[in-house]
Amino acid sequence: MSQRISTGLLYSQSLANMLQRQKVLTDLQTQLATGKKLVTAKDDPVAAGAAVGLDRALAELERFGKNANTVANRLNLQENLLAEAGDTLARANDLAIQANNGSLSADDRRSIAAELRSLREQLLSIANATDGSGRYLFAGSADDSAPFSKSGNSVTYNGDQTQRRVEIAPETFVLDAWPGSEIFMRVRTGDGTVQGLAAAGNTGTGLLTDYGRSSTGSWNGEGFTVVFTGADSYDIVDEALNVLDSGTWASGDDISYGGLRLRIEGEPAAGDSFGIGPAPTSDAFSTLDRLVAALEDDDPTLAGKAARQNALQAAMRDVARLAERMIDARAAGGAQLAMIDAAEAVREANDVTIKTTLSEMRDLDYAEAISRYQIETTALQTAQQVFARMQGMTLFDLI
Amino acid sequence: MTVLSTGTGALIAFQRALATVSHNVANVNTEGYSRQRVEFATRTPHDYGYGFVGNGVKIADIQRIADQLATSRLLDAGGELARLEQLSSLSGRVDQLFSDPATNIAGMWSKFFDSVTALSANAAGTAEREDLLSMGRSLATRFHQLDAQMQSLDGEVNNRLLSGADEINRLAAEIAQINRSLSNALNPSADLLDRRDQLISQLIGYTGGTSVLQDGGMANVFSAGGQALVVGVHASTVTTVADPYRPERLQLALQAQGSTVLMDQRALGGQMGGLLEFRATVLDPAQAELGRIAVALATTFNAGHQAGMDLHGDMGGPFFSLPAPRVSGNSANTSGASLSASVHDLAQLDGQDLILRFDGTGWSATRADTGAAVPLTGTGTAGDPLLVGGIALEVSTAPPPAAGDRFLLQPTAGAATGIELAISDPSRIAAASPVSASADVANIGSGVVAGLKVTDASNPGLLADVEIEFLDAGQYMVGTDGPFAYTPGDSISANGWMLTLDGLPAAGDIFRVGRTPPRSGDNGNALALSNLDDARALNGGTVSLNGAVGGLTTMVGSAARQAEYSADAQQVLYDQALADRESISGVNLDEEAADMLRLQQAYQAAARIISTADTMFQSILAAVR
Repeated sequence: MSQRISTGLLYSQSLANMLQRQKVLTDLQTQLATGKKLVTAKDDPVAAGAAVGLDRALAELERFGKNANTVANRLNLQENLLAEAGDTLARANDLAIQANNGSLSADDRRSIAAELRSLREQLLSIANATDGSGRYLFAGSADDSAPFSKSGNSVTYNGDQTQRRVEIAPETFVLDAWPGSEIFMRVRTGDGTVQGLAAAGNTGTGLLTDYGRSSTGSWNGEGFTVVFTGADSYDIVDEALNVLDSGTWASGDDISYGGLRLRIEGEPAAGDSFGIGPAPTSDAFSTLDRLVAALEDDDPTLAGKAARQNALQAAMRDVARLAERMIDARAAGGAQLAMIDAAEAVREANDVTIKTTLSEMRDLDYAEAISRYQIETTALQTAQQVFARMQGMTLFDLI
Repeated sequence: MTVLSTGTGALIAFQRALATVSHNVANVNTEGYSRQRVEFATRTPHDYGYGFVGNGVKIADIQRIADQLATSRLLDAGGELARLEQLSSLSGRVDQLFSDPATNIAGMWSKFFDSVTALSANAAGTAEREDLLSMGRSLATRFHQLDAQMQSLDGEVNNRLLSGADEINRLAAEIAQINRSLSNALNPSADLLDRRDQLISQLIGYTGGTSVLQDGGMANVFSAGGQALVVGVHASTVTTVADPYRPERLQLALQAQGSTVLMDQRALGGQMGGLLEFRATVLDPAQAELGRIAVALATTFNAGHQAGMDLHGDMGGPFFSLPAPRVSGNSANTSGASLSASVHDLAQLDGQDLILRFDGTGWSATRADTGAAVPLTGTGTAGDPLLVGGIALEVSTAPPPAAGDRFLLQPTAGAATGIELAISDPSRIAAASPVSASADVANIGSGVVAGLKVTDASNPGLLADVEIEFLDAGQYMVGTDGPFAYTPGDSISANGWMLTLDGLPAAGDIFRVGRTPPRSGDNGNALALSNLDDARALNGGTVSLNGAVGGLTTMVGSAARQAEYSADAQQVLYDQALADRESISGVNLDEEAADMLRLQQAYQAAARIISTADTMFQSILAAVR
């Protein structure tokens, strides 16, 4: 640079310096006011691009949280309803035990049956509960209309078996409420695997007090029927009435065959039969119906009494299976709720990580920015003072 | 009277010199002014035989202090600075557009997918469905708005090119005019030379380039790229012509001797170069990328949406509607043939504009910006379309193309403007899986449906009712087909769906798969849709939609940052060149004050000489009285 400086340049350079300082100050002011280091993408293009993805991830986490709340609401509702259904079934069980007392009169039994009927209605209304937003809770995905409908005495399920999956954290899915078919409809009877039943037309007083898989021998899944041929002898026949085996029996003895066993007490008449086989499924409503039907049958004969007792026993077992199913469903719902809690922890951890990263990328270091602001302010003031001072420094003023 | 004439001569010379000083002082703020200096010389002395007696002073020259080298450095730096400042300021505007959450795509994008995720939690909810529609509409609108903003920047570039061309012509004509008047003058006027330098620097600020002095003191001006703007007394005319493929877009051309020659759009400097570079390297790529994201969103989301079932019980239709890729024929095409284009493979789509050429037998493709060849396959018939860059093209048969026909293919240019929501009925949102599975109520096995996934939504038998019956725990029939072996955990596939079971099915257990009924609250498809933003659908399956949105921000930000850095660096170079020129030619008031003082004193002394001469004259008069 040469020794000569033009007056115009002197002014324009001082001015340019001041303008430059002012621009820096304005930028700093914007940063301080917004608290953001990145004001536009050009301040750090790579970070700005990454921030777009992180912002999206953050918004997604927040949405997952809302989704989790929606599902948690429904699962809590399911929990409450199933608890109520469990109570209903416990009451039914109590009533069945009460009714099993042989000293009850037919009227007493009828009043118990009436209460059972109302319990059945109560169960139906639980099964048709909505989630508060007009969607039926136990209908699977066909939750637009009531899943259980009554026609005559039987209840049919109109829902489907879709159990919705909802994403509540990245790649973490939780299952929504159980479909009603799994809770109320498809419940196996008997002891859950095997069911034994006294034949309807038995004329003796034989009571089927217990049955199940025997401790010896393996079961091939087929059922059979014990047909009494005398007061203490029986045949075991298959479905086609082929005699498979025969034996003798005394009251209270176990009859075992093919991995299954039955215990019959009392005095069966010749020709009486007791069947055992794989337990079919039944629905909660017809199970209660059977209980009611058994109670309303007021045949005063000894055989009638035995038949009633057999029917009551069978129905009580089925009610117990129903109650177990309620517990299973509640346990499953509880597991999902626990998962929602766990997912919340995951979300919170992710949230903190992402926010920290984002903050490093674009949040302002206030201490640094403020000290820079002060330095720049001083620099601008100095430049202004020097400019003003320089103004007076002209030879023309002195001559 | 030599004393008197010496005195008056000096008086006049110093008066002139003082006038020059005051001229300098007066022009201290005149841009482009070169200071002038008076060169004094002795007058021819008179020989008296005994020696020479001086005759005083005369003005030899009024010199214009200028250095051609410094001036051309300043011209160079100024042209480049004008280009980079133009580029930087316009890029900064695009950057702002993409950075502000109120105008950019990322914010609305996130809200839209958020809304899809919300739908997946409550698939039949009317509020969620309405929200998704309104978010979809908002997202489409945001695409329109951003694209419109960029269109208006494009329009601004056009306007600036138009007004720039006028200004170039005015400046060039004026320079030629000054050249003409200077060519006749023996002693060119310093102020006229300053004026010409100033005009040249303005002209080069528009086009970049250099000025070359020729014999006779005339200055020739060439644009960056070497096209002559002023030669001697002739000025070229710059005009704007429409792009042959896109008539709404202007290019600069030079009119000389009745023919119009396109100016080299890539080499041009100055403001015009900055405008063209901005358009080619920032605006077009950003617009193409925005379009590509719109295409990717619409294509991916539509494919996902069409694999689901709506509340009416119908398979989903397109969620977004999108215009076909734009193909425009060159205005010089003779045949009138046309091409119809459609997106063929999203993963290959890169948004680059391509030029397609027909040589009479086959087609070839080149990049519109670089001219590099791009692979192209197919013949252009309906059965065998031309495939290039993820786009399928069908060539019209009536009229057929003629040899030499050229077309511009802009795969994604109209997408951001044209993307619209295709549905308006919230019930038409296909949130449910098209098929659902159920276990027969009489099943005694513990098998339950764990998952049903659509693997091929286009399978014609997808919605058919199918019964899966287990013959025993290890074998099953699908309808009348089978038996197939089953081990727990196996999936069962047919008709484009895949079923998985939990638990152990028993002999006689029946599972049914069939069309999802209307008004289903199933969320299977909404769940799939909500994860589409992370689907790697672009760049050969390596970049997700979210990634592309972030990438666009980075792309625009980097372009703006680079332009700003270059402009800042060039500003320093320009300042140096300016300081150099000013140190030679600029006016320093202190210097002028000193000069003035010096000349004033000399003037006073010369006046004293005259009064001395007068005294001498009076003495003689008194002597002879």
